[in-house]
Formats: sequence, structure tokens, C-alpha cells
Amino acid sequence: MIRNKSMRRASLVSAIVATGAMVLSTLPAQAATPGVTATEIKLGISSPLTGSAGLSYGKVPGAMKAYFNYINANGGVYGRKITLISRDDKYLPTAAATQTTNLILKDNVFALVGALGTATHSKAYKAAALAKNNVPDLFINTGFSGFTDQTKYPTTFMVLPTYAMEAKVIAKAIKDNFAGQASFLIAQDDEFGTDGVAGFKTAGHTFTLAPILYPQGSMTSARAEAALTGLSAVPGKPVVVLFGTTDVTATILKAAEKLALTTKFTWYAGSVGADANTLLALGVKPTTVNGVISASFMPDAKDLTDPYVKQFADINTKYNKGITFDNYVLAAMNSAMLTVQALRAAGKDLTRAGIMSAIEAKGSTFASAGLVPLGYSATSRIGYNGYWVSQLNEKGEGKPYGGKLVIYTTDSGAGAVEVSTFVRPTMPKNGIPTNS
Amino acid sequence: MLKGTQSKKRLVLFIAFGWALLILSNQVGDLKLYQGSFVATYALAITSIILLTGYSGQLSLGHSALMAVGAYAGALSIFNAGLNPIVSLIIAVLAAGTFGLILGVIAARLSGPYLAGTTLALAVSLPTLANQFSILGAEEGIVFDVGPAPARFGEDFSQYKWFFWISSLAALIMVWFIANLLSSRYGRTFKALRDNSIAAELSGINVGRVKVMAFALSSGVAGLSGALLVMLISGVSPSAFPLSLSFALLTGAVVTGLYNLKGVILGGLVLVAIPEIADSLVSRIGGSEGFTTTLPGFLVSALLILAVVFTPNGPGHLIKRKHHKQKVL
Repeated sequence: MIRNKSMRRASLVSAIVATGAMVLSTLPAQAATPGVTATEIKLGISSPLTGSAGLSYGKVPGAMKAYFNYINANGGVYGRKITLISRDDKYLPTAAATQTTNLILKDNVFALVGALGTATHSKAYKAAALAKNNVPDLFINTGFSGFTDQTKYPTTFMVLPTYAMEAKVIAKAIKDNFAGQASFLIAQDDEFGTDGVAGFKTAGHTFTLAPILYPQGSMTSARAEAALTGLSAVPGKPVVVLFGTTDVTATILKAAEKLALTTKFTWYAGSVGADANTLLALGVKPTTVNGVISASFMPDAKDLTDPYVKQFADINTKYNKGITFDNYVLAAMNSAMLTVQALRAAGKDLTRAGIMSAIEAKGSTFASAGLVPLGYSATSRIGYNGYWVSQLNEKGEGKPYGGKLVIYTTDSGAGAVEVSTFVRPTMPKNGIPTNS
Repeated sequence: MLKGTQSKKRLVLFIAFGWALLILSNQVGDLKLYQGSFVATYALAITSIILLTGYSGQLSLGHSALMAVGAYAGALSIFNAGLNPIVSLIIAVLAAGTFGLILGVIAARLSGPYLAGTTLALAVSLPTLANQFSILGAEEGIVFDVGPAPARFGEDFSQYKWFFWISSLAALIMVWFIANLLSSRYGRTFKALRDNSIAAELSGINVGRVKVMAFALSSGVAGLSGALLVMLISGVSPSAFPLSLSFALLTGAVVTGLYNLKGVILGGLVLVAIPEIADSLVSRIGGSEGFTTTLPGFLVSALLILAVVFTPNGPGHLIKRKHHKQKVL
């Protein structure tokens, strides 16, 4: 009896101890989700605020903060306010590595959002041990197809389509609209340009001459003039595809102005290098900008008839005072809206693994300003998977080429470029997502 | 006899310092270890500038390019040849040293602003050249992965502690070697060249040869720091070595004091700590994003002016002078 009693006591004690241990072992795990408290979710972004890249991309963190402040003012995400900690990486790999590490180890953020640049982010990803720590790396601003490799970047979700996709869409547009004309490619000689070159090759497009490749930062006026002089000897009205950043597009277009060659060519600027506001600000004449063809996956920031654009422009006016609303601000606020939906889809018990699973499961249905579909799934970390072809006018507005909006979707590999009937989801009321 | 004692003292000092760092590495968190790795790396780069500019009197504005040579050589030997990381660091030293030797021969006839201009041009052009060769991985660059720490250190041994150990050990060994070299006949030869090259030549010193030697040695040290730097960011690419890095290192060398190695850690600390100080200042007193981003530059400029005004030969020299005064009294 005594023996039974003592055994029972021992069983009871061990049961209590085991239950206690289980509770204790689960409690710290929940409480220990970095960057998440009952009232706050801390996110981080490492991007250029200073230096030449900071001139254009420096607006990104501010625009994201503005949208998050708008959400915070309207109740936050399940009652939690979003705090975005921004660190300046000057578009330098060393700074990106240290700043991203600071965000993880010092600022203790829950996730990263909107990191920018391939050379910078590929270093930062490894240096900050994002994969090892399972840190969600959300909606990065680079189209380098290498980031789709889930073995190397298991926590990364892209938002931009890949450069290879863009090249394939441009190749189709040239084939459909400028067959018979010579075509040339002037591209940045790095992963950006080479990804594009690979895309043209996959699409079966052959340029009349070998692509003119230049290292980043090396395209001077003299070099641009020499290149254009050489190409101008070709008869007809050749298509010149510019696959570089907007400042280089401006250098080349101004060289064409100087040589009186603006009407000699049909200009086709890639999405990265066709920000009309920047082109005009850098001194390209409105008459030159008029007619430049480009590819985009977002609506034009000047199109205030678009409900998403109008909503984001209103938020910008109220929460991002003094900042001009342009394509960079629009894209940044759109990424912020995707982030809020991802946080909501992950549920009230927010975990790092949970938010990544939520994007995989529901990300393709998130509301966004993008005019092309989102491609998130268990096997794909690519965001937008297509483009529409636009043409700039003198005011710098991007209008559908040929007067009709045609959406093309494709992949980064050998898949065909197809016309899509995609209709984007309706904007959440007042731009505040309520998904779950 | 005296020289032997000094050398032994230095060895004991470096070993003691190494032990202190080893103990320290078990007491601090990952962030401090990561920052400490950068301090060691920058201290090494500053050592190479002090060796070249402070001791042999040759002004280089392009040390980032020499670091890039070492970084690419080290990365290629790991990434392409699959060599051991330790071997890759040695290759980084040799490759940058050889490059410096060739550059030194070419630039031996240059001095002052002409040499500064040549090295400046090198800093601008050399990293972008990497874009021309596919083997160097273009703008994305190539991976520099030293791998995880040996399993015998345990599962809790973090990547950052491993970085700290490697960079601290490499820096200690190299600075010890350079300190010994500078206190030898070669150091005196370098100083003679710096103070008066004609007098040095009249004393029988082969000025050209000594200049080239200083350049090669300095490049080798810079190459090692370049390889360590890209180890810390896990890969090498042209944009990892901007011109601004050369200027930052030169600033660190001036704050340290160009004529002795005693304050190199201080130089490294300054380069790593300034952004942190700026951050904490801004978080305490508040301020716009523009203020945050411009404050580090302002602090560095202020520190540079203060260093030039109050300790033109560096804090190490100041301590030495005080010590000397106390002895006299």
C-alpha cells in the first residue's frame, strides 16, 4: 500500500514535472521569436540612403515606413505596430554585410524587407547567416535569377520578375513589332546584363551585332557617343535595347541628342533603366523621352486613375511629407502592402517559419498594384512573373504600347512568353489588407 | 643582446595579447565578435599603410586596389582550386606582394603627388577590371567561404567567433612580423629613405630597391587584410573595394599616427566604432535620416582634425613621450 502510495506520488510528481517542463520549453520558444512582442513587430531594411544609388533608391525605406505608419494608425497587424529599422549600406557589399548583421544581432528584427542589389545582398545574406537563423528575407529588390535558388537562399522571396524574364518579353516585343529591323543591345556587364543576355538567347533572339557590354559606372558620354556612331551606320531604324540603370540610359540618350541620332533608333529601355522622372531630371529632353519603349509590371506612378496608385499617392502626401510620389515610392509602398498581407496570413502567433509558409501558401493571391500575377508557391520564390510593354510620352507617363494593355507572363527558363488574361485582385478597402 | 631582449619582450606581449583576445572571445556576444573581426582586419590594412607611408615615405591613395588583389587571389584559391582557407590567406599575401613588387618597380621613379596619383588611378580602375573576366564572377563576384569552425570546438561555436579567431590570429602574426622587421636594419633603412633619400643614397642604400621592397611588403599585408575583409562578407566583388575604403584607411592611419604601429588597433576601432557612435548619438538626441547618414562623415572629419592638432604623431607617440618625460624627471 505504502509502496503503491509512494509510486503514485512519484508518478504524480513526475507527471507535474514533465508537464511543467513541456510548458516551460514551449513558453520561451514562443516568447523568443525575435523582433515580435505583444505590441510590436520589428522589421529591418538595408539599402542605399547615400551615394549615387541613394539618389533613386534612398526613397524606398521612407516610403515603406509611411505605409506601415498608415497601417499602424489603423490598428496595426492584429494589434501589433510595425516598426521598420532602416540602415544605410551605401550600395557597398561590406556595408550591406555589416548593416544586415546589425539588423539581426543588434536590432533583433523579426524579418528583413526590401533589401536592394545583387552584389550587396548576396554577401549580406551569408554574412548575416540569414539561412542558418531562418530569418525571412522578404520582397528583395533585385531581379537576379540566382536568388530563386532555394538551396542557396532558402528564406528569400523576390518581388521583381527576373531579368531573364524581362529579356524574353522584350525579345517577343521586338519580334512582334519590329521584325526586319536590325537590333542592338547595350547592357551592363554584370549579373544584371548577363542574366538579360541569357534571356535573349533563350528566347532565340539574335542581335545584329554582339552586345556592347560595359562595367557598372564606366559608361561615359564619350563611350556612348562612340557606340552610337558605330551603330548609326546600319541602315533603317534599328532597335537599341538599353539594359542598364536609369543614369546610363540618360547618358546614352543625351549622347544621341548630341549626335542628332534620337530619331535614327527605336529606343527600348529595360524596366530598371526607364524611370521617366529620373531621365527628365538628369537632363534628357522630353522630346527624346517621348516614344521610349519599356517593360513594366507595375502601373505608372503618374496614373492617378489607378486605385492603388491613387491610394498610395494619398498615403505619401500624409505620411511621407515632402517626398515626390514616383515609381520608386509606388513600388516600395506596394512591397510594404505585400508585407502586411504576409504578416496577417501568418496569423496571430507570428513565427519566422510561419510567415514563410504563409507566403508560399497564399502569396499568389495577395492584393497588389502589380498588373501581372504573383508566382509564389511551395516551389517558387519569384514574385511577379511577367511584364506589360509601355511607351513613355513627353510628360514621362508610361502608356500601354499600341494603346492596349497586353500582359505577358513567362519564366526564367525555356518556357514560352504567353499573353495572360490575369486580372489583379481588387484593392483592399482604403488600402488596408484584411486577409488572414 | 638588447635587441634580442626587445624581440623576446615583443613576442611575449603578442602572445599575452592573443590569450587576452581568446578569453575575451568567450565573454562577448556575436555582434561584438563580428565587429572585433573588422577591427583586426582594418588594423592590418592600416599597418600596411604605416609601413609604406609612415616608414618608407611613399604615399599611396590606392590601398583598396592592393587589398582587392589579395582578396581575389584568396577567393579563387578557395572557390576554384578548393584549397584550405589558411593556404588561401598565404596565397593572398603572396599574390598581392608580387603585384606590389611589379607595381613598385614601375613606380620606383615616382614620388610625392605623382605616386599618389598613380595609386589613385589604380584604386579607381583595378576593381572594375574584375568585370572583364568571367572567372572573377563579374559584379556578383565569387564566394569566399572559409567554412564552419572545426567540429571539435562544439556546436555553440558561432561563425562570428570563427571569423574573430582567424582575423585576430592573422593580424597578430602579421603585425608581429612587421614590428620585428621595422625594428631591424630594414626599418632603419626605410626611415633613412623617408627622411632624406639623397642622404640615404650617399650612405650606400640602394634607394630604388628599398622602395620596391617596401611596396611589395606593404602590398602583401594589404592583400591579407583584403582576403580577411571578404571572408567577413563571405564573398569578393569589385564594389567591395571602393575608393572610399582607401581614404578611410588613410584616415585611420593618420588617427593612429603614421610613424609607429602602437595605435593600429585604435585606427581599426575608429573605423568600426564611428558609425556605431553616430547611431547611438542619433537614437539619443533624435534626428532625421539625413542627419544619421551624414553624422559618421562629420565625426571622422572632426577626429582627423583633432588628431592632427593634438597628436600629430599618434597617441602611441604621445604615451611614449609622457613615459620619456617621467623617466627624465
